[in-house]
Amino acid sequence: MAIKSKSRQKKFDTRIDFTPMVDMNMLLITFFMLCTTMIKSQTLQIALPTNEKVEKEEQNKVKQSEAVTIIIDGKIVEKNGVQTSDPTEGMLYYYDGMPEIDNLAQGESNMKQIEFGAKTGGAYPAIREILQERNKEVVLKVADLKKQWKEQAFSKDEKKNDSIFQAKRKQAMNDSTLKRPVVIIKATPNASYANVVSVLDEMQINSINRYQIDRINDVDSAMMIMLQGKNLKK
Amino acid sequence: MGKVKIKKKETRIDMTAMSDVTVLLLTFFMLTSTFLQKEPVQVITPPSVSEEKVPVANLLSVLVSPEGKVYLEVLGSQDSTDNKKFGSENVRAHMLQNMAEQYNALHPGANISFTKEELAKFSKLNAFGVPITAMKQWLNMETEDRDKALQQKDAGIPINMNEDPNKPNEFQMWVRAAYNSIDPELQEAILKGTGIAIKADQTTPYSVVNVVMDNLQTIKFNKFTLMTALKSEEE
Repeated sequence: MAIKSKSRQKKFDTRIDFTPMVDMNMLLITFFMLCTTMIKSQTLQIALPTNEKVEKEEQNKVKQSEAVTIIIDGKIVEKNGVQTSDPTEGMLYYYDGMPEIDNLAQGESNMKQIEFGAKTGGAYPAIREILQERNKEVVLKVADLKKQWKEQAFSKDEKKNDSIFQAKRKQAMNDSTLKRPVVIIKATPNASYANVVSVLDEMQINSINRYQIDRINDVDSAMMIMLQGKNLKK
Repeated sequence: MGKVKIKKKETRIDMTAMSDVTVLLLTFFMLTSTFLQKEPVQVITPPSVSEEKVPVANLLSVLVSPEGKVYLEVLGSQDSTDNKKFGSENVRAHMLQNMAEQYNALHPGANISFTKEELAKFSKLNAFGVPITAMKQWLNMETEDRDKALQQKDAGIPINMNEDPNKPNEFQMWVRAAYNSIDPELQEAILKGTGIAIKADQTTPYSVVNVVMDNLQTIKFNKFTLMTALKSEEE
C-alpha cells in the first residue's frame, strides 16, 4: 500500500486543444461561402417564329379583333462610355387590331401610350390591367382554378393537386372557345432588355399563351412619332 | 499553516463541440457548392417571375455584354465518367474542331487547325470569345493574359445582322458547331429550346440582344431561353 501511494503518477491530460482546428475550419467555411452560388438563375423560355417569308404571312392572319400590339420604347443613357438603356425610363405604346392611320397627319391613330412604371389600382403595372381586360375570360377561369387549387379540391395529395392544377390551367389557356388575345410584342432599339423581359413576364402572369416577338415596322414608328409630337404640343 | 488548497479554475473552454459544428457546416458547403465560374463580363440579369431553373448540363449560354460583345459557354452532360455520356470537355473539343472545319469550308484559303494540346486547353476553358482566326494565339497565352484578352475592345465572337443561313457569321457557326458536337443530349436540348440561353444585362439596349436573337432565328434555332433572376410577384 505504501509503495503504491508513493508512485502516484501525475494524471496526464488527454484532451487536445481544438482551438486551431476550429480556426482553420472557420477559414474554410468562409472561403466556401464566398465562392459559391447558392441562388441559381432562372430561365424564361421563348420561341420566335422562323423568319421564312411564307410562314410569316400565315402568322399574320391573326384575327384582327384579337390582336394587341405592344411596342416597348426606352431611353439610351451613356454610362462609362457604354450605351445602356435605363429600365426606369421605359414607355409603352399599344393598339388593338390593325393600325388605323387614316388621320395620321393630324396625329390621330388608335395608338395609346403609357409610362412603363405606371401603376393602377394596387401595385400592378398599368399594362397588366390592359392585358387582363383583353384576356378576361381566361384570367377568370384560371383564378377560379387557383381557388380550387388552394382548397385542394383536385386532390388531397399536394403533388397531385399541383399537377392537376397545372394541366387544367394549360387547358384553359389553350381553350379556343374562350376569347383570347394574340399579343404582338415589338421593341425599339432603345428599349432596355429588362423591360422586354418584364413584358414577356406579363404574358405569363396574365395567362396569355399566344404572343410573339416581332420587328418594329415603319407604320409603327410613324404612329409613335406622331403620338409623341401630339403629346408635346399639349 | 492551514492546508487549504484553492482549486484552480480551468479557464480553457472545450472546443470539441465547436469543432464538430464547424466541420458539419464545412461538409455542407463543400457538398452543395458549385463554384462561381469566372465570366468575362459581369451581368445583372433582369428579374422575371419565371421559376424554371437554369439547367446545369447540356447548355450553350450566350453571354452578351452591354457593348454587344458576345461570349459563349458550353456545358455538356454532367456526368463525364459515364462512357455513354459526354462531358463538357469532350463536347468543347469536338465543337472547336467542327468550328474550324466549317470556317475552312466557307473561306477558301483559310486553313485553321488545332493541335491536340490546343484542343485540350480549349476544353478546359469555361468561357471564350475571340475570332476564330485569333483562337490559336489566344489558346497559347498564359491564363492571366487570356482573361485580359477577353476584356479587350476587339474581343468577342464576331457577329453581325445576317439573314443568309448559307453564309453564316462566326457566331452562327459556333452555335451550329455546338449542335453538331457529338453529344446527343446537348443536341436534343438545343432542339427543345432549353439548350440555348441568352444572358444579358438588364440595362442592355434591346438592339444588342436583338442581333443575337435574330442570328439564332436565321439558322432556325428559334427556340431558346433567356436567363433571368427570380422576382417574387404577388398575384
